[in-house]
Amino acid sequence: MSLKPLWLRAQRGDSQAYRESLAKIAQRLRKFYSRRLQTLPDEVEDLVQETLLALHTQRGTYDENLPVSSWVFAIARHKLVDLWRRRGRRDNLNDSLEDLTEDQHPTAVEELPSKRDLGILLDQLPAAQKQAILLTKIEGLSMIEASERSGVSVAALKVQVHRGLKLLTELVRSET
Amino acid sequence: MKTDDLINMLSREAGPAPTVSVARRLLPAALAGALVAASAVLAVLGMIPNEMFFEPGPWIKIVYAGTLALAAAWMVSRLGKPGASGVQAMYAVLGVVLIMFSAGFLSYLGTPESERAAALMGHSWLVCPWAILGLSLPVMAGSFWTMKGLAPTNLPLAGAACGLFSGAVAALVYALACTEPAAPFIAIWYTLGIMLCGALGAFLGPKLLNW
Repeated sequence: MSLKPLWLRAQRGDSQAYRESLAKIAQRLRKFYSRRLQTLPDEVEDLVQETLLALHTQRGTYDENLPVSSWVFAIARHKLVDLWRRRGRRDNLNDSLEDLTEDQHPTAVEELPSKRDLGILLDQLPAAQKQAILLTKIEGLSMIEASERSGVSVAALKVQVHRGLKLLTELVRSET
Repeated sequence: MKTDDLINMLSREAGPAPTVSVARRLLPAALAGALVAASAVLAVLGMIPNEMFFEPGPWIKIVYAGTLALAAAWMVSRLGKPGASGVQAMYAVLGVVLIMFSAGFLSYLGTPESERAAALMGHSWLVCPWAILGLSLPVMAGSFWTMKGLAPTNLPLAGAACGLFSGAVAALVYALACTEPAAPFIAIWYTLGIMLCGALGAFLGPKLLNW
């Protein structure tokens, strides 16, 4: 089943399509990571969240000529390697699952508990960025409403949200 | 925060994806870097005499370095996009180098035996590769900044692409001050200088480009 039509709508600004795509991608990521992180099952959901954040902040780098999954899993693999590198355990990169058949692989489609709380990391952002994210992303105000409430222009709010999410992605990385 | 909440948060009011234009970042970065490099090399070595522009020497360098810069820019744009293959762009780089090598080799064969050593080594073979490496540094800063704005997943290769691009632009700038006229010299020493830049980029990639 191809994600592409849904994803292309999301890229053009359809938030509902974007939400659905991300939910599907999250499931695939969870499968992908739980197969590869059998020795570290606790890390799976954190890495799923970290990757979703990275996908979001980098969604401009998606090339429409490619399958969505190539783009997603290139980033997912990058994040996995990065995790191992940070933990200094490159040797675990090669999983020993090659001799198992696909249906013997453990799969997790349901959301697993995450260790890290992104809500707490959100508190560490600079006030302006945090406010922009809280108003538009958590409270769910439209950009115009949020602008009226905060007295910040729509353009500036968009920049703050973008910078805030970028910084959040970096915080997530440096925390592990 | 649960993953579902995160997804809701990310998608809410997300708007269309930002357009990422590699050219819009790389071009100003290259121009700024080239300007710094050009003022350095013209201050130290000065411009080649005008008459030289009526000979093929400078034009071979300019066309070689220019096409190499284009091929390397293509590599930068491919390697900055997750999932995109850089193989075709790498073949393009390789192809340009091979054409220059062939041209250099043919010119070498056509040179009288007594002048061959001069055509190969010139008077500045020891300086040329290092000058290109040095001149590439300001462009290198700009091309790494460009790559930082993309999402490279193969960091050594992405770094090498930035390095090759910087080297090619530096060679283009160096052509303004380099009085070597012979194609064999250009094929060997210019290429070596550009490759040094590529190697430096590959070394720096994993250190500077991680995200």
